[in-house]
Amino acid sequence: MMSEAKSREEVIESLNQVAAEMHDKMLKGQPPTMTLPVRSKTNIEFNKKLGVYKYGKKQTIRDATSLGSARQLLRALHVIDFIEEMIDTAKSSTLREMYYISEGWGLGKFGTQNESNNIAEDLEIVTRCMREDFKLRPEEDGARMIGNVTIEERNRRGDWMRINCRDDVGDSGYGLPYNVEPEKIRLIDQDIDFIMAIETGGMFDRLVENGFDESARCALIHLKGQPARSTRRMIKRMSETWGKPVMVFADCDPWSFRIFASIAYGAIKTAHISEYLATPSSTYLGITADDILAYDLPSDKLTPKDIEALKAELTDPRFATSEWQDQINMMLNEGQKAEQQALAKYGLDFVTDTYLPEKLAEYGLSI
Amino acid sequence: MKQASISEFFEKNKHFLGYDTLQRSIITAVKEAVDNSLDACEEHRILPDIAIELRKVPKKNDRIIMVSQDNGPGIPSKSIEKVFGSLLFGSRFHTIRQTRGQQGIGITGVVMYSQLTTGKTTRVTSKITKEATALQMDIGLDTKKNAALVSNRERTHDFLDYNGIPVEHGLKVEAPMKAKFQRGRKSVGQYLRMTSIVNPHATIRYRAIDDNGEIIEEFVAERVTDRLPRPVRSIKPHPHGLEIGALNRLLRDSTERRMSLFLRHTFSGVPMRAMKETLAHAEVDPATTPNEVSPEEAQRILNAFNTVRLMAPPTDCLSPIEDLLIKKGLSKSVDSAFVATVTRPPNVSLGNPFQVEVGLIFGREDVPADGAVDVLRFANRVPLMYQQGGCLLTKAIESVSWKGYGLEQPGGKGVPKGAATILVHLASTNVQFTSEAKEAVADNEEVHNEIRLALQEVGRHLKNHRKKSAQKAKAQEKFELVNEILPAISTKASSLLGRDEPDLAPVITRIMNAVFCEDEVTWDKEAKVHRCRIKIHNYTARPRAYSILAQYPETDTATFVENELGGRREVKGIWCWKLDTIPPGEAGNIEFSIQGLEHNDWNATEVFFRGSGDIIGASKIDEGILEQIRTEEEIATKKALEESNMALDDAMGHDVDNSGDLDADELQKAMMGPIGERLEHSDAEEAIAQHDVDDSGTLDRKELLDATQSDALRQSGLGEWGDE
Repeated sequence: MMSEAKSREEVIESLNQVAAEMHDKMLKGQPPTMTLPVRSKTNIEFNKKLGVYKYGKKQTIRDATSLGSARQLLRALHVIDFIEEMIDTAKSSTLREMYYISEGWGLGKFGTQNESNNIAEDLEIVTRCMREDFKLRPEEDGARMIGNVTIEERNRRGDWMRINCRDDVGDSGYGLPYNVEPEKIRLIDQDIDFIMAIETGGMFDRLVENGFDESARCALIHLKGQPARSTRRMIKRMSETWGKPVMVFADCDPWSFRIFASIAYGAIKTAHISEYLATPSSTYLGITADDILAYDLPSDKLTPKDIEALKAELTDPRFATSEWQDQINMMLNEGQKAEQQALAKYGLDFVTDTYLPEKLAEYGLSI
Repeated sequence: MKQASISEFFEKNKHFLGYDTLQRSIITAVKEAVDNSLDACEEHRILPDIAIELRKVPKKNDRIIMVSQDNGPGIPSKSIEKVFGSLLFGSRFHTIRQTRGQQGIGITGVVMYSQLTTGKTTRVTSKITKEATALQMDIGLDTKKNAALVSNRERTHDFLDYNGIPVEHGLKVEAPMKAKFQRGRKSVGQYLRMTSIVNPHATIRYRAIDDNGEIIEEFVAERVTDRLPRPVRSIKPHPHGLEIGALNRLLRDSTERRMSLFLRHTFSGVPMRAMKETLAHAEVDPATTPNEVSPEEAQRILNAFNTVRLMAPPTDCLSPIEDLLIKKGLSKSVDSAFVATVTRPPNVSLGNPFQVEVGLIFGREDVPADGAVDVLRFANRVPLMYQQGGCLLTKAIESVSWKGYGLEQPGGKGVPKGAATILVHLASTNVQFTSEAKEAVADNEEVHNEIRLALQEVGRHLKNHRKKSAQKAKAQEKFELVNEILPAISTKASSLLGRDEPDLAPVITRIMNAVFCEDEVTWDKEAKVHRCRIKIHNYTARPRAYSILAQYPETDTATFVENELGGRREVKGIWCWKLDTIPPGEAGNIEFSIQGLEHNDWNATEVFFRGSGDIIGASKIDEGILEQIRTEEEIATKKALEESNMALDDAMGHDVDNSGDLDADELQKAMMGPIGERLEHSDAEEAIAQHDVDDSGTLDRKELLDATQSDALRQSGLGEWGDE
């Protein structure tokens, strides 16, 4: 299983394989190459055993026949060298630090931070290692959580610190670290019925202020838009360890659907580790396209970009179910989208007093 | 014109005299001054140095003093009053030649406008070489008498140029007038910038001063060549395009005794044979006195002109700017990546010689790329600034399909878009305008076609240039890839794995897999030659064989001096070499030098090839276009030969003693024929002495042909018969 840390030697061996592919090609008088799975919606398949979407068999060969690809290969070699050095010296760095360190790599230096992130991801995929194996940390900070769950986090001094995420935190909640693996976070105890993941900070704060975590007996997690790996990993661990359902509460627009897909089915960009990040038992609670009509919510017109994204989702295997096809087509037909906060049309308490109880009741969660 | 109505005439017609708005009036005034200066300098073979200054007058609304000063010959004291003081003065009114002064009513109009709007006089300072001091006077107009009113006439030592040095010869005009200063597309600044582009031999200084003494606009457009335009010659009217009224007037005013002589001496392009045929066709007795010809007979003569074969009018009366100089003029005024220019050969429409020149600047950084291109229109070296839409020159631009040449053209028609400038210059002895305002050229199919052909040619240059730039960038990338990135990949991968580095040579051939062309043109200061080097790299796995063609400036003076590979002229401006087969991994070279061009006349070549596959940095030659150029050249040669034969036939017709040779008397008479040039008897004798190969004391047909083609005799007009 990928989630198990690999040994130093295994990691270095798999990284060297990447360099060996290039060297072998050049020995044969051919341009050096790097072989990667195709990272698009056309190459994700449902894995029945794992219940998530993983990369299929389609491969793309990046070869050094154009300047851009050749630079990518050279950068990959520099990153490999850098990682092996960190493994040797037991150091770690952030992706951003690596981006700055690349200034010294001459021809192999990165043009943008995005390039360095992509190459780190490429290497994860090719070597089947985790970013953590590479000693590379993400910049992204994890989400906030409030609810009656108790965890232990190992602090900088190496001591386990027990925290109740309702009683021991302020209004901003417990901040998830970038590493939420058992060596860093232990799940101790809980008294909740479900986990609720919320897209926007405004709605998270609304639910906190209205005491929804207590009245509905749930853990509230703020996704901060497209959720970070650690957020998705934490949701998965809590859901599977404690057997609690995950309800996703987001805006009603194409991007929210993708957020849900990355939590429930696996994200296209990280499909190589979907079984480690995705929670197949998640439910899209709202806001749904029919909610806009049913609750007569204030809405905005879809932008051309929205429409394009919705159409792309129609052919995305993750949205192939008839429920999703109906939702997306309904949205395209109405031409409207809505934000979570649109519920405030009926007052600040409407969401906690009426909307959420009604929606949760549909899934057998009565408050 | 009734004398009393001169100021009234001005008032009524100020819209087409160029004085209808305060913004336009100042441009017109500057234009009259500059046109006069340029014409005067050219006539006296002086490189013009012209300074224009606009001074806003303090505490007066819309009052500007226009000051113009030149280094021209100056005006002799007895002529000053006539030049500045009477409307419609000037010799150029009745001659047929290419002059600037086809627009407006000249500098007198400035004096008139100044007086009408300010009540003040115009100060004129003139210095001619042979007088020790300059003459200064204030000139006003007696509008009733159409004459100058001179005051404060005095001699002065205090006539200095912009460096403060006493002027040896020159003219200064200071005219106060009601006018508005502005910047932008229709401004004095723009007018002078445009003028400097089409007058590359002139230095033009411009300065505008606010009423508080601050300089608000200023530039100096230095001359980019010391070559003066060739002097323009006046020619007689050609029967084609003649109207009945004009013919009647010519008949009435003629002093010839016989119609035969009238036809031969009044027109260009009427050889003896054509004269006889015309009169026969029109049933007019050659012995008739011209002023006795009836209107019916005149009409029949006019009709006959269109059935009888006439000679074309001479075209060396035109003074094109010439493409190399336009290029220089354009390059100095605008910073840009690419300039292409084309001067078409002279042509004739309705008896009027004309010639078209165009220029295209692309890649301007000072203008947005999504706007319409800048259109610069010129007629006889004068900028046209108004009525762009209705002008033939604009319509010709609009008729070209620019998309094919890489410029955006929404809807496939109209003025294209892009960070570019298109220049069109029409030189003609008779530019037809749409109206008296003389701002838009009237429709004419032949002129339209010539402009289109020229624009298509610069368009092709642009397309090749853009393709080449893109390919060069691509080639640059490939070179960086194999020379830098690939070795770095090899080193890094080998060191990570602890292995030996692989041999990269076969990898490089695999990656490049193409033929590349590199070319450069350099100026050798010592040898005063332009050197061109072309290198073809074969980075493919098999041998390659090509013919390489390169563009070079073919002019009267340019000659190949070093050209080991030889080759041959393909068409005008394109040379072709056959290259030996280039083995894989090797390169073929072409080097040649051209003498007889000025520095900067030539900066880059275009390379074409014949052979299979692609060459990055060169274009496959378009045989269709080559064929088109060849056909044009053949037609021109054939036409010239025919003209030359007609002229020789005509000249030999003067062999009155039927000796088969022309003596000096006969030659002199012959020259009065179709060309209508007066040849001095001594010149005729000299021509005979020079070209009389068989020492017969006379010229036979072959000797006469040689004579007509000799440079020495071109001056006297014989040259026109020759094969250009």
